[in-house]
Amino acid sequence: MKYPFPVGRSDFIQGDEAIARAAILAGCRFYAGYPITPASEIFEAMALYMPLVDGVSIQMEDEIGSIATIIGASWAGAKAMTATSGPGFSLMQENLGYAVMTETPIVVVDVQRGGPSTGQPTLGAQGDVMQSIWGTHGDHSLIVLTPATVQEAFDMTIKAFNLAEKYRTPVVLLTDAEIAHMRERVYTPNPEDIEIIYRKLPANKEEARYPFGDIHGDMIPPMPVFGKGYRTYVTGLTHDEKGRPKTVDAEVHERLIRRIIDKLEKNKEDIVTYETFDLEDAEIAIISYGIVARSAIRAVRLLRREGIKAGLLKLNTIWPFDFDMIGNIAEQVRKIYVPEMNLGQLYHLVREGADGKAEVELIPKIGGEIHTPMDIIERIKRGV
Amino acid sequence: MGWVMKMQIRFAGIGGQGVILAGVILGEAAAIEGLNVLQTQDYGSASRGGHSIADVIISKEPIYDFMVTKADVLVALAQLGYDSTKEELKEDGLLIVDTDLVKPDREHIGAPFTRLAEESTGLALTVNMVALGYLIAKTGVVRKESAEEAIKRRVPKGTEEINIKAFRVGYKEGLR
Repeated sequence: MKYPFPVGRSDFIQGDEAIARAAILAGCRFYAGYPITPASEIFEAMALYMPLVDGVSIQMEDEIGSIATIIGASWAGAKAMTATSGPGFSLMQENLGYAVMTETPIVVVDVQRGGPSTGQPTLGAQGDVMQSIWGTHGDHSLIVLTPATVQEAFDMTIKAFNLAEKYRTPVVLLTDAEIAHMRERVYTPNPEDIEIIYRKLPANKEEARYPFGDIHGDMIPPMPVFGKGYRTYVTGLTHDEKGRPKTVDAEVHERLIRRIIDKLEKNKEDIVTYETFDLEDAEIAIISYGIVARSAIRAVRLLRREGIKAGLLKLNTIWPFDFDMIGNIAEQVRKIYVPEMNLGQLYHLVREGADGKAEVELIPKIGGEIHTPMDIIERIKRGV
Repeated sequence: MGWVMKMQIRFAGIGGQGVILAGVILGEAAAIEGLNVLQTQDYGSASRGGHSIADVIISKEPIYDFMVTKADVLVALAQLGYDSTKEELKEDGLLIVDTDLVKPDREHIGAPFTRLAEESTGLALTVNMVALGYLIAKTGVVRKESAEEAIKRRVPKGTEEINIKAFRVGYKEGLR
């Protein structure tokens, strides 16, 4: 397979470009989108590359159509992706729920910008954290990944596809304008060195009768391909193991929804990743994700130089959320700081995890500028 | 001018001068050398005439910054660009200007980059390559060969020769 970009070497590219290339390496062959700053470069790259890898890139009438189309493509057997920013992500919420309910592997990239509404199109923000997790209605779960560098945007895009395929779930890659547009050195591995996961297909006709049944005991039903000889039914209505609507049966609803949530919750160890910096003996913890984590790392290093025992937990996955891990950190440290480019979103999850065992303080910032290390340091020093 | 761990370089000009492409090519050259590098940009909505800034941070260590906070080097190609960001240059930082177009209020070096571009290639828009060549000659932040390889990768097909020519004019000027 010949790729329309260099592989097996480092390149100097933007976050958006890295996401597009990684998607293609992960096996994505269907992209549908609607242009929006600061995600448009993903679409541009897909429009350029897809025809060269026998894939499809299509502009839809809007973001509702975009996500609907990739859900259809996924059921037709393709790995599929769309990318947008806040206003478009809002439009996608209904169908994001449909993807959850129909257990459709898709990757949705949300390049955050200042909101609400059309807000600050060219400036970064982290205002879509809660939306990415809880934007769609009803009890549910899905996976949300948060890169902090262009290399991570690349790596996490591949991971997003792998998790989507493995767990038959939508995955949101939640990034921001700054990472989308900055260029960094990115290593693109040789394709044979990349682990690629494909969804479980029904092994036989019998298995294919239960496209929503936990027939392997792992909570993940094999997913048949539309048009490959099986009769199946895909609906957003509450459905039984065969996919037939059962909309007033409490037991069927509970069994379905709990499985959809549990298949992720009970595999947290596999899904949730994070990094720590100087956290082992820390008395003050910073919990951060995305672009702000970069400033947080610097802040920790500078605070340590001054003898303040600070440490960082950098979250790469913000949903499912490891509340227990936050609880353990809260037992160890005096205080937890949560710097984020919003007026408090992940902060609330951290507080829930800390459960009163340590004080949790938000370091908010909105308007488009990213926290500098000094923003974080000054706030922490005030409390020391 | 040697550098040890990290170098923060800012290009400032106006839209149409190729300021961002200069930053991208410098970044690509650093990437070719295996250095850690980050490039970001800031510009007005006008494609021509507004301020235009490209930041490049090059380091042997991982880079956590996402923009130039205190520039070690500021390359100013237009007065508007210089005025918009002169505060971000370190007190002992290196200021490089187009001496025809920028009248700085502090110590600086430079050459009439735009004029040199016009004289050597007949195209004022190769000013970015002239300035880049000058910068690299003066600072040694990347090797000349890496920069030329980066130019070949990044400029539109068919314009490699003319861009490298402009780059070499600037480089030569910088060695004087």
